[in-house]
Amino acid sequence: MTDTHCPYCALQCGMSLAPGTEPGAGGASGTPSSVPDGGRGAAGSAPDVGPRRALPLTVTPREFPTNRGGLCQKGWTSSSVLTATDRITTPLVRHSLLTSAGQDAGAADLRDDPLVPASWDTVLDLVAGKLAALRAEHGPESVAVFGGGGLTNEKAYALGKFARTVLQTPNIDYNGRFCMSSAAAATNRALGADRGLPFPLADLGGADVVLLLGSNLAETMPPAVQHLAGAREAGRRGTGGLVVVDPRVSATAKLTDDGAGVHLQPVPGTDMVVLLGLLHVVLAEGLADREYLAERVTGFEDVARSVAVWWPERAETVCGVPAEELRRVARLLAVAAPAHGGRGAYVLTGRGVEQSAQGTATVTAAINLALTLGLVGREGSGYGAVTGQGNGQGGREHGQKSDQLPGYRKIDDPVAREYVANVWGVTPESLPGPGKPAVQLLQSLGARPAAAPGAPARGGSPAAADVPSSAAASSAAPSAGVSSSAAPAVAPPGGAGARTRPRALLVHGSNLIVSAPNADSVTERLKSLELLVVSDFVPSETALLADVVLPVTQWAEEEGTMTSLEGRVIRRRRAAGPPGEARSELWILAELARRLGTPGETAPGAVRFPTDPAEVFDELARASRGGVADYSGLSHARLDADEAASGPGFFWPVPATPTSAGPSASAEPADRGTPDTGPAAAPAPADAQIHPGTPRMFLDGFPTPDGRARMIAVDHNGPADDVRPGAPLYLVTGRVLQHYQSGAQTHRVAELERLVPEPYIEIHPVLGFRIGVPDGARARLTTDRGFVEATARWTDAVRPDTVFMPFHWSGVGSVNRVTTDATDPISGMPEFKVCAVEIAPVPDGVPPGSEPGTVPGATSRFPIRPESAPTLEETPA
Amino acid sequence: MSLRVPTRIVVIGFGMVGGRFVDELLRRDTDDAFDITVLGAEPYEPYNRVLLSDVVAGRTDVAAISMPMPDLERVDLRRGVSAVSIDREARVVVADDGSRHPYDQLVLATGSEARIPPVPGLGTGGAAGLPAGVHALRTLDDAREIVAATVNTPRAVVVGGGVLGVEAAYGLAARGLEVTIVDGAPSLMARQLDGPAGEVLADGLAARGVTVRAGVLPSEVLVAGGRVVGVRLGNDDVVAAGLVVMSTGTVPMSGIAQAAGLTTDRGIVVGHDLTSPDDDAICAVGDCAQPPEGSRGLVAEGWDQARRLAERFADQAAARAAATAREAAGLGRPGGDGPGAAEGPRAHLRFPDQGERPSMAVRLGTLLGSQAVTRTPSDAGIETRGTDVVKVKAGDLSVVSMGAAGLGRAPRPGERAVRLADPAAGRFVEAVVADGVLVGATCVGDPRVAADLTAAYTRRTPVPTDPAFLLLTPIMATAAPVDSPEHMPDDAVVCRCNGVTKGEIADCCADGKDSLEEIAAATRATTGCGSCKEAVCGIAAWARSARGEAADHMTSETQVPA
Repeated sequence: MTDTHCPYCALQCGMSLAPGTEPGAGGASGTPSSVPDGGRGAAGSAPDVGPRRALPLTVTPREFPTNRGGLCQKGWTSSSVLTATDRITTPLVRHSLLTSAGQDAGAADLRDDPLVPASWDTVLDLVAGKLAALRAEHGPESVAVFGGGGLTNEKAYALGKFARTVLQTPNIDYNGRFCMSSAAAATNRALGADRGLPFPLADLGGADVVLLLGSNLAETMPPAVQHLAGAREAGRRGTGGLVVVDPRVSATAKLTDDGAGVHLQPVPGTDMVVLLGLLHVVLAEGLADREYLAERVTGFEDVARSVAVWWPERAETVCGVPAEELRRVARLLAVAAPAHGGRGAYVLTGRGVEQSAQGTATVTAAINLALTLGLVGREGSGYGAVTGQGNGQGGREHGQKSDQLPGYRKIDDPVAREYVANVWGVTPESLPGPGKPAVQLLQSLGARPAAAPGAPARGGSPAAADVPSSAAASSAAPSAGVSSSAAPAVAPPGGAGARTRPRALLVHGSNLIVSAPNADSVTERLKSLELLVVSDFVPSETALLADVVLPVTQWAEEEGTMTSLEGRVIRRRRAAGPPGEARSELWILAELARRLGTPGETAPGAVRFPTDPAEVFDELARASRGGVADYSGLSHARLDADEAASGPGFFWPVPATPTSAGPSASAEPADRGTPDTGPAAAPAPADAQIHPGTPRMFLDGFPTPDGRARMIAVDHNGPADDVRPGAPLYLVTGRVLQHYQSGAQTHRVAELERLVPEPYIEIHPVLGFRIGVPDGARARLTTDRGFVEATARWTDAVRPDTVFMPFHWSGVGSVNRVTTDATDPISGMPEFKVCAVEIAPVPDGVPPGSEPGTVPGATSRFPIRPESAPTLEETPA
Repeated sequence: MSLRVPTRIVVIGFGMVGGRFVDELLRRDTDDAFDITVLGAEPYEPYNRVLLSDVVAGRTDVAAISMPMPDLERVDLRRGVSAVSIDREARVVVADDGSRHPYDQLVLATGSEARIPPVPGLGTGGAAGLPAGVHALRTLDDAREIVAATVNTPRAVVVGGGVLGVEAAYGLAARGLEVTIVDGAPSLMARQLDGPAGEVLADGLAARGVTVRAGVLPSEVLVAGGRVVGVRLGNDDVVAAGLVVMSTGTVPMSGIAQAAGLTTDRGIVVGHDLTSPDDDAICAVGDCAQPPEGSRGLVAEGWDQARRLAERFADQAAARAAATAREAAGLGRPGGDGPGAAEGPRAHLRFPDQGERPSMAVRLGTLLGSQAVTRTPSDAGIETRGTDVVKVKAGDLSVVSMGAAGLGRAPRPGERAVRLADPAAGRFVEAVVADGVLVGATCVGDPRVAADLTAAYTRRTPVPTDPAFLLLTPIMATAAPVDSPEHMPDDAVVCRCNGVTKGEIADCCADGKDSLEEIAAATRATTGCGSCKEAVCGIAAWARSARGEAADHMTSETQVPA
């Protein structure tokens, strides 16, 4: 029996794993008694469709504060993925690459060049050789890395270190850019730190009001619904309620039925107007917490004036929520606020409002509301962002983000650079500067596209800065030093920038041709690479495009830590051995580092890449010391001991000494000036491990220069791709309970796949009548970027002006082929959640996915995208 | 070279639209291309005039209507200073404090003032000469005086039944006054509502303590001892009142333009480009302007004009900068580092073809241009759609009107108008559809439908094949909600977290496993968020009793021989 956590979402439900039973014996867990044979997975491409292995581990739910012993269907069936029939168990490489002729074959047709098994030594030598050659010829920026929010803290840390020390490329970012970056940018700016929930999730239970904006947690993390019971009861008592803001009547919105709360159903892309209207009412009706504002906040006056133009009736004409409903909700919140003697109120945001070209501003508006009501940094009230991916929190703290170093440090902060370089045993000058955020990184890959794809981002180029403060100005110095050492590239004719385009990409824990916006263009970019290396445990759609596929361990086969949506650092534990030759990414990175060496260092291996997760964690902890996300008081051993003793767990920051938490990071690492010496140097002074962690942040002040939260006036601009003739409907995207992200895992679980086997389009019957798409017929959505087809489901859960599609599929039903890659100007986060589409029936007899015949405006609306569109070729200075 | 000298912009008027214009222009002016001076006659900080009726109603803190102040480092703001004349020859504005303000572009945003009809007893001095107790509702001072007056009188008359009159009456009634609206039109808000809708509104107001006297004009305002005491109506009825609010429309303030020789009609005549046909250095926005498409006096229109004008100025500035830069690039020495180049156009304006990241002004120009392309249908000329939504601020009394609506509406060919009249429930909805989109709507008494109509109208989303669907919140025809396990279909999902249906739970019970624990172990129902426990227990109980009944039934059948 191994105590660990679910592999999927950020709730990280507690579960125990026991060895499974023999095939056919039936599972105590109720899993289907046989593992699906020959399921999905691209026949021919995955050679290891071997004999049926032993049945999965048996999953038992475990008491843990986030799930309280509950599991959803994904969790119950999670062990099936361990024995997916198409699990990759040996390194794979394009056949042509094994022959010398193939070395420069370039973009041959992948179908004529199958992936074939090869030994680890062969593929690692091949990859290292290619990377070294590219670096020699085109400079370090010619290699890029794409990480994931599902990787353990240890892997995320090692990946960032590998990119900065071995590859020395600034080009690293991760798929968390798609989910958490706007909330991160806004909370860093306003509160001085970004921990999704700066309080334990269970605290929600004591509040009278929980305001959820753009979060469908009843679908995405069902056990979390337990924590809304308090607010729903308060609704029935008449002292509060659950307030859900969502353009759909989602499963979460239905939790407000029967007096439990209020559902506000705005027009897609107008959530910010709801927030501005709510704040207007709070101020107009004198409901602000004046004492709190005076003591703990700056910038209130500007914000107050800015919302004077958003009286509820005006807000109604933009967001479609009746003015009186806005008033009612504002009053509910105020009455629940501590200033008015209530039991507390929480404002929570999710991807629905954050995945927007104005996502950072929308989160800022939410924080402004919470601050005005005096909720933040008070026990029993607060603002939080509901993190999505399993390690979406930890994934953004340890340095796989383009603008960050471990400990949630800024890569353009000279002090941070020096500190981390010391831990790594390299010079600060050798560290690259900030790279491009995900969307811009992906669009910059490979050969130059014929026409720059993507809609121009509103408001200029993404700065990719979480803290767009004056500190950004100082970034010029270090990054300039790095760029000047880059291989000079020939300026293209009329060149909008003489920068190196990455020619190789390493992908870890991301299926980005399904999960990235404007996905077809991302596929084109990947195909134009000289080398694509994907580490995955199943042949995901992205892996199938790769030149080299490296088989890796998954959750129950590895040790490590994750950081949950509440900032709690938890242990992932190994319960089974990896199949075949699958290895941990830690080992792969170490092997590559050994082969590549560290430029500027005399000997390969001068920068250490330990493969023991506990050792990596110790180094991570040291690297984080003094940073915002300080793990320096933690170790695997301390986490294990606390859990064994049923302790309260640890929420970061957990500094090694009670007094070292200042941002100055002046405390020198013990091993300053010498390369990291590994675990021998790890033990900290005995008194260093007494910090109990920080379940609730901001109680005594905010980690800003003046200790106050910053309110910043924001205004509504609307979606980048708004409805217009030819694209008269809104498309919103989201999840279903049975699937996770791109579906690479859940499509391989028969029980989940049986319930939701294919994508669908939710349309309102009134719309269905109008366009001639009956319930169950196929429909096609078209945008300037492409089209997608799926079965229509009639439901009045969507507005008649809106259609909905879940995003877990590839191929013709892959909705991200049509979503816009317009990005937020501050966070670089793409606007997944709203774009304008045309809808039409798919005539009978037309095979799925055939090219549209006369679909209006499919490609002709913007025949030329100006090269000057500020989405490409730009790196924040 | 011209860029070395910023364009001098003088704005007359610092109200809702003048202030917005300055804000819109500053947001686009990242290269200090403009030198902005603003003259505002009112001494106050800018405030939201639209919310004055809320002040009267006591629904808003007066402090909460303060509007954003422009960055005073970037704007020369003269508060309490009125413009008195425009010297178009010299391009100078002369103010009442004697100051002179030269301009390259003059923007008139003088707004409008209350129209005071020639009724005996009101004097002839306009809003300034009204007897004590009679007030217009146009300025913050007006609102404060009306609020002060409510303390001393139990009865008020509102003259004029337009939007502002209705809002004022609602607000005064909310303060506990006995209010009468006197309106010459046959029904309330005749510009926005037709007869039946106006009737429904009148009923709604009546229920809130407002008496509506429509179709009759005041013949005299009765004054005693210098204070108003009531209003005599055209039919000789007398309504006693210690407070009279005049909401009888507005008059554009175009005097300064007229005196300068610009064409004025109802307001200052301007073209689609908001520029006077007589002088392309002078533009007008907001209530004082009279563009070709007409003006309804709504703030949304004025804000839209402010945005369009600021966009145009910024585009022109960027184009000028681009032209000068190209000129310099063509004429100047390569490298441009000589003294001549330093004297030339601003070095920091970079263009997309210059190998560096283009500067903000250039990028903004590109973006705004492209957005305008995506958002404006090419065949529609100036896009003003969506700025004419009228939403009355009267609390729970929901009244919305947009586009083709109102008593004077003349149906056009091709239009379909459908309506739902439900006066007893205080509801009236009309939707006017043409070419597959909503071109007008009226909605009284149904806020949900009103919000949906507004969204459909402003965004031109496709309307239902049968426009009658627009009159209600369209919901799917479903079976009545299931309240007992017996009637629940077998495939109904009971436990969402684990996708367990009623049928599976019932089967489990039929196998004899009907405790919560047994059901959870066998089906996983209740093991997610746990909120289906009650439903699962209900099904188990039903299954038990059904088994019992079946057993009973069997027994009785066997007892009674066939």
